[in-house]
Amino acid sequence: MPDIIVTLLNLGVVQILLIVFVFVMGLASMMTLLGDRKQSAKIQNRVGPNRARLPFINHPLLGIPHFLADGIKMVLKENIVPDGANKTLHLIAPGLVFLPALVAWAAVPFMDTYCAGEMLIDTATWTETCQGEEHRWFQIMNFNSGLLYGFAIASISVYGAAIAGWASNSNFSLLGGLRSSAQMVSYEVSLGLSLAGVLMIYGTLDMNEMVRQQGYLIGDWLPMWGIVVQPVAFFLFFLAGMAETKRAPFDLPEGESEIVAGYITEYSSMKFAVMQLGEYVATVFIAALIAILFLGGWQVPWLFADGFHFGSTVIELPYWLVIILRIGAMCGKVVLLVWLQFMMRWTLPRFRYDQVMTLGWKILLPLSLANLVVTAFIMALF
Amino acid sequence: MPKVTINGTEIEVDKGKSILRAAAEAGYDVPHFCYHPALSAPANCRMCLVEIEGVPKLQPGCYSQINDGMVVHTESERVVKARKAVLEFILLNHPVDCPICDQAGECKLQDYYIDYDAQESRVRTEKQNKVKAYPIGPEVVYDGERCILCTRCIRFCQEVTQTDELTIVERGDRAEIRAFPGRELDNNYSMCTVDICPVGALTARDFRFKCRVWLLTSTDSVCTGCSNGCNIHLDHFRNEVQRYRPRYNPEVNDYWMCDEGRLSYKSVHTDRQTEPKVNGATVNWHALAQAVADKLGKVEDPSQIALVISPQATCEDIFLAKRFGEETLGGVQFYLGGKLSGDSDEFLIKADKNPNTRGIEAVFGGTDSLKSFDDLLADMESGAISVLYMSGTDTPCDAETRERFVGLLDGLKLFLHQSPHAGEFADKAHIILPSCTHAEKDGTFINFDGVAQPIYQAFAGYGRSIPDWQIFLRLARAMKKPFDYTFLTQIQEEMFAASQAPEPEPEPEPEAGDDESSAPPPAE
Amino acid sequence: MAKHEVKQVERVEPGLWEKSYIPEIARGLKVTIGHFLNNLRPNKEKHTTFTREYPDVPTDYYPDRFRGLHRLMLRDDGQVRCVACMCCSTICPANCIHIEAAEHDDPAIEKYPAVFVIDELRCIVCGLCVEACPCDAIRMDSGVHAHPFTDRGEAFLNRDLLMEMGGLSMAKQGGER
Repeated sequence: MPDIIVTLLNLGVVQILLIVFVFVMGLASMMTLLGDRKQSAKIQNRVGPNRARLPFINHPLLGIPHFLADGIKMVLKENIVPDGANKTLHLIAPGLVFLPALVAWAAVPFMDTYCAGEMLIDTATWTETCQGEEHRWFQIMNFNSGLLYGFAIASISVYGAAIAGWASNSNFSLLGGLRSSAQMVSYEVSLGLSLAGVLMIYGTLDMNEMVRQQGYLIGDWLPMWGIVVQPVAFFLFFLAGMAETKRAPFDLPEGESEIVAGYITEYSSMKFAVMQLGEYVATVFIAALIAILFLGGWQVPWLFADGFHFGSTVIELPYWLVIILRIGAMCGKVVLLVWLQFMMRWTLPRFRYDQVMTLGWKILLPLSLANLVVTAFIMALF
Repeated sequence: MPKVTINGTEIEVDKGKSILRAAAEAGYDVPHFCYHPALSAPANCRMCLVEIEGVPKLQPGCYSQINDGMVVHTESERVVKARKAVLEFILLNHPVDCPICDQAGECKLQDYYIDYDAQESRVRTEKQNKVKAYPIGPEVVYDGERCILCTRCIRFCQEVTQTDELTIVERGDRAEIRAFPGRELDNNYSMCTVDICPVGALTARDFRFKCRVWLLTSTDSVCTGCSNGCNIHLDHFRNEVQRYRPRYNPEVNDYWMCDEGRLSYKSVHTDRQTEPKVNGATVNWHALAQAVADKLGKVEDPSQIALVISPQATCEDIFLAKRFGEETLGGVQFYLGGKLSGDSDEFLIKADKNPNTRGIEAVFGGTDSLKSFDDLLADMESGAISVLYMSGTDTPCDAETRERFVGLLDGLKLFLHQSPHAGEFADKAHIILPSCTHAEKDGTFINFDGVAQPIYQAFAGYGRSIPDWQIFLRLARAMKKPFDYTFLTQIQEEMFAASQAPEPEPEPEPEAGDDESSAPPPAE
Repeated sequence: MAKHEVKQVERVEPGLWEKSYIPEIARGLKVTIGHFLNNLRPNKEKHTTFTREYPDVPTDYYPDRFRGLHRLMLRDDGQVRCVACMCCSTICPANCIHIEAAEHDDPAIEKYPAVFVIDELRCIVCGLCVEACPCDAIRMDSGVHAHPFTDRGEAFLNRDLLMEMGGLSMAKQGGER
């Protein structure tokens, strides 16, 4: 590999560009179109956006020109700040929603460390050991407490919502901000607790390490993914995660039938777009977390550094192909989970606010505590 | 006084009254076509047949006089049956072209058909064809097929105008109304026949096909054609006067009004100036008032200012003009404007063509303090007057003098023209103050006889025109000497107290058995 | 107090399994995902899409009571039947009919509409004008779909245009005569 690429990869700029700007932003902004509009249209027997055309191309192109037109429209629109709003906070709030959602991606591994030397596969414990230099090229930053970092950063966005609600000088916004902060704080409790069991099993906070451990094959055939060892935690985390992103059926903070658009009511132009994008990025981030914690992250079942291992048969694959397969698996899992979240959104009706709180405090929290206790017992027994 | 029992109601009525009037007093409406309270009763339509106990046949209610102890039934089975038969008979040859007919909506035949007949025609033969759209007079069109031969129009010409133009020609189902040979229905009141025609046989050429009557809104007003001040219904639709109809007032005009006055509504919509202007530039009222205050404030000697008072204006406008000239400007010269006198007759048309000359007299305490229009011309020629504030477009002078007057306007330092109409002054006036016509404002007119009559606003002012009194309020405020008024009623209170003029009397109630001409058209 | 017949309905208490929502969510997802996948099929004929891409694709489906644009009926000699009685413009709840009457040369016809304009954008297609018409002059059975307007003025259909869609009426004009 040319030195210049290695130097660049070591700097981390390429990772940031690839992961944050190409993958995350690309996925998040495409979701605004394909997920929110085209997918819902397909579910509801509609056509969806198809009127806008690119110059010289007389084809709707899946409605992608709409998405471009939307962007242009958002940029060109007048930026309205309501009378009596706190201008500084009103300006900061979208950033506070958007930035943490992006920064949290620093800890997400898209592939194991790159091994410059020989890879040893121990088929007894199903572990890979690198004989040589290791490079963290598929993760922006090296964290041994990546999960904590992700949670810490992601929870900052609650300030964004609360500040947006308060600074807009509008009752609807204020109600939306209050709802959103209450909801996010409530669900963060069960979000964290449902993971405690997972952490006990993996015994680490390093996300890459967690994914590595999920390569273990129970009885030499069943991948030890999080969903296998912690099925209850998976459901709890999925639910709490969806509530955390404030998407339907948990989009109470924006309940347009009651409070117009919640804390986004008084936002226009690009600020509005950033608010929305922040939500989508958070959705993708939750999907990435679920993929890493429960669905094996970059792991492809039975695929190891030297190829597929089906029992004793081994299908040899070159190392570069394994890397591509693993990155593809991670991306695929994220996309699939995002798709599933959107499917849930268009399937389920919105909760009532008290139901959201009941679900959070009376069902998810006791269940995650019980899950923790049971896991601890089993761990202690075996 | 004789006592009669009508449908079980016992009332006392004056001797000699007809049963129809007595029934109306008792609260029972007897349908009728040919009877009109202001005309004689020929009893030829047979619609008002009533049953009198002890009399074997049904009797016409409009003609039969009451007797003491009479017992009358106007709604008995026999009567209702007779009405139905009469209506069917009247409708035998009626074309039933209500969609075309201008009377539809205020047609007695329509109303009574719904009330008393309401059956399909049983006639299976051809209907009689008669003359359609026959020009019986310059202002009136006659339709022979719709005519029910009630002879109201004939009697009107005989008894009210006493001109005797009309008669019935032919007999039976060929009978029609016609003018006598060599004559036509061309008296000065010919369009009253349209009002009294119970069906659509006589229609006004002016109103023909213009607007359906059910779309009209009616506002009580006073005709401004002459100083007689005939009471009118001002019928308007979509901010446009569509027609005048006389309104019953026994003290002034009874049921009638002249053709000239009836067509004077057209002036409301012709030659209007709608935008306030200063030196040709359209400005808003605030800026205009400031400009006027600025310019009038610079005039050192107020006696150089001539204020022409128009007797076309309402009393309130004149009152404020007087106060504006005397108090706000101080010591201006007042001149009398208005229209030149014209023809008159002994009935309703008066020579004084200004509706409110008596109003000026009431406000100024006689016309002695006002100089004549000839004086104005003389003063303008001698240079005694350099600023002219003219309200109204009319001048009481012949065409030649008016031409001279218009020429003299060029020599003025300042010419303010406050009027609904532009006249020849659109280019001459330095400042144009568009005001409202009588259709667009409330106010009071005092007629030749000294009867003060209120007019009411029918619709909003054209363009940005506002009533004269509001203009004076604005000007006075701009000149830092505001009047203490907000509403017209405040002006009226003060005005009536100052002039000791009689306050406008409440509307006289139409007499019993009144005709449809004074009833408002059906509301929209 | 009046006695009402009260029907007691047993409240169906959901079991723990239903209360967990998981089966219901799964069933809901089955429906939505089913629609989603079905409408992704390359064969567009199999799609269950209801959207009609009018005016790119002319519609092939009309409700039973579809009326279409107004039309003005004609007399035997091709003149307009309308006598400008204003009944339609009076009854019109949307105020979309504008008529100006004029005197006809033929005294038997007497009155005809010199101007007859319908604002099809204002029209709410209630059909009251047809019911109000005493002459069978206006009908709303042309079946012609209002074409898409690019300019507001195009929606003002005037008398001649409405007469082009018109036809002869069996009804006798002016009653029995």
